[in-house]
Amino acid sequence: MTSHSIAHSDEFRAGRELSLDHRKLGMWLFLASEVMFFGGLIGTYLHYKATLPTPEAALLDTVLVGLNTFVLITSSLMVVLGLDAIQRGHRRGLITFLGLTALLGAIFLGGQVYEFISLAGHGVTLQSSVFGSSFYTLTGFHGLHVLIGVVWALVTLVKAARGTYSAQEHAGVEAFGLYWHFVDVVWIVLFTIIYLI
Amino acid sequence: MTDLSRPTHDGRRARGYVMVFLALAAITAIELVMTQIGLSASAATALFLILSLGKATLVVMFFMHLRQDSRIYTAIFLLPVILVLAFSTLMLMSAGGH
Repeated sequence: MTSHSIAHSDEFRAGRELSLDHRKLGMWLFLASEVMFFGGLIGTYLHYKATLPTPEAALLDTVLVGLNTFVLITSSLMVVLGLDAIQRGHRRGLITFLGLTALLGAIFLGGQVYEFISLAGHGVTLQSSVFGSSFYTLTGFHGLHVLIGVVWALVTLVKAARGTYSAQEHAGVEAFGLYWHFVDVVWIVLFTIIYLI
Repeated sequence: MTDLSRPTHDGRRARGYVMVFLALAAITAIELVMTQIGLSASAATALFLILSLGKATLVVMFFMHLRQDSRIYTAIFLLPVILVLAFSTLMLMSAGGH
């Protein structure tokens, strides 16, 4: 740990007294706020789904989105394998797995864009119906989170290439991993409530 | 199961991650197969929710390391989850009243 980061962590005495890494604590608090954010959108979607007819739901391609789900789950594996690699001091392994994570995230986004274009071709848009509004809002915000995650993965990759992380100092990789896995968990829930039930 | 939070100098931890991934992939495959067979709506809904909960729990416990990390992180994460579940239940109950 550098003298700068030691001085920095001294500013977070509460985190030290709890024996918690303040960066990790901050990330979990952020994720808790994200649970509330997506919870509001999910509750609204469920309400509309239960009260209004949604014939547009028949247009959803469950198999295609199922494959996209598989892509996102695979990307989560890449992240933990990357973290495992740097914890063992294998910087090249971290770089490789972060690159694969960003690639899989981009493939997921490509699948989502394809789905949006396909639905729009059938007349399902943000303004066409309550289903369209709630569907695009929910999946669109999730897609935005994936996009942010892809950018974060690439930034983490560049930092890894510059030697920022080591077997002793890899909190940045762990924080990114928590975010990425959370986005995966949100998708697991969305896949179920939008496409399966 | 392999402790996925403690550093090891062999591939045990990575193998544990791969096992969790295989479980997630298998559950997703089961879900896709279930969409193709004729299950009653209520049975399918219950099964899909259970499988989804199982997948989310696997990711949070093993990939996000809540299984081994401080219980404070667990509490921070679970509190809003409980609130969201309560909110979603109330939204569905209000929908049932219409």
